Amino acid sequence: MSTLNAAISASASALNAEKKRIEVAVSNLANQESTRTADGQPYRRRDVVLAADDKAFDAALGRASATGVRVATVVEDQAPFRRRYEPSHPDADADGFVALPNVDAPQEMVDMLGAARAYQANLAAISLIRDMVAKALELGR
Amino acid sequence: MSGISDAALVAALRRQMTISVARQVASAGNLANVDTPGFKAREVKFDSELEKQLGTLKTTHPLHLTPGGANGAVEQEIEGLEERRDGNNVQVDRELLTMGRAAGDFSAAQTVLAAKFRLVRYAINEGK
Amino acid sequence: MPIDMLKAMNAAASAVTSVTPAGAGAGKALKAGNPGSSFADTLGKLVKSVEKTTDEANTAATNMLDKTGDVHETMIALQRAEMTFQLTVQIRNKLMSAYNDIMRMPI
Repeated sequence: MSTLNAAISASASALNAEKKRIEVAVSNLANQESTRTADGQPYRRRDVVLAADDKAFDAALGRASATGVRVATVVEDQAPFRRRYEPSHPDADADGFVALPNVDAPQEMVDMLGAARAYQANLAAISLIRDMVAKALELGR
Repeated sequence: MSGISDAALVAALRRQMTISVARQVASAGNLANVDTPGFKAREVKFDSELEKQLGTLKTTHPLHLTPGGANGAVEQEIEGLEERRDGNNVQVDRELLTMGRAAGDFSAAQTVLAAKFRLVRYAINEGK
Repeated sequence: MPIDMLKAMNAAASAVTSVTPAGAGAGKALKAGNPGSSFADTLGKLVKSVEKTTDEANTAATNMLDKTGDVHETMIALQRAEMTFQLTVQIRNKLMSAYNDIMRMPI
């Protein structure tokens, strides 16, 4: 059942993509207070950009294909840093303000939950499709 | 023998199974792209004209070939879905429901087809 | 398909209608009709019931596909057709074996 296997590949691609989204959200949360990264700047929030994976190559060859998803790129959020008045902080500027990462904890949590839900849904899809393949094979019994 | 021939029934069962597979493929693609900006969910729909004809399997030829897609089904964007802020309109629950139903249809058709095959094998073995 | 095989069997059985099953022990399921009825009559009745149940099963399956019928009705109809067919084949086998026994008896 190559069409069903193509469908499983599509769902599997989503598992990868959503996992990446969770990883990035976790990284953002972990670095909420990182005022100093390798380049001397505060940590910049990162975002995963997803794109549909049309498998046009396979379709052109007449092979079965399903639309999967891929991580197009991981970008840095260019929103401005937060500023907090804390003169005693080692990274405070001349006016006593510290530039903090542009990470919003509630937003990261929402993203993580969304990614987790999508992950679960795609897992359920794989399970359903796998059962269908097993049933098809039973025709020969 | 009056009524539906075995050949007609087998053809109809094959068609049902093929369409169920197509539905799973479309839904899998939708679910995979639930977080892709701008993605629009797709579904497999029957050509309603053809559906009226093929719906009465009892009177038409079982191997009726269809224009615009084998088995009279086409994949197209789902209408009437709400878009979220990123332009995506995939509804997870709807897709899971579609997949559940397609799996059920497939299972039922498979069981009937398997039973038919079993009978033929029985006949070939003359019940021994 | 199975039904054609049965029809062939029936035709073969018709060719030996002169043989009666008296004492041949042709199986409990045979309708106790006229004790002199031939193998062909018996098989004929069974083939008819196979035709009927197969027809009903096919109709039920088509209804299931149309969504105008229930899945359980279809499964039940299928099982009836399968059992009727299997029963008929078994009876036919027993009848053939009884016929062979009779033919082998020295006159």
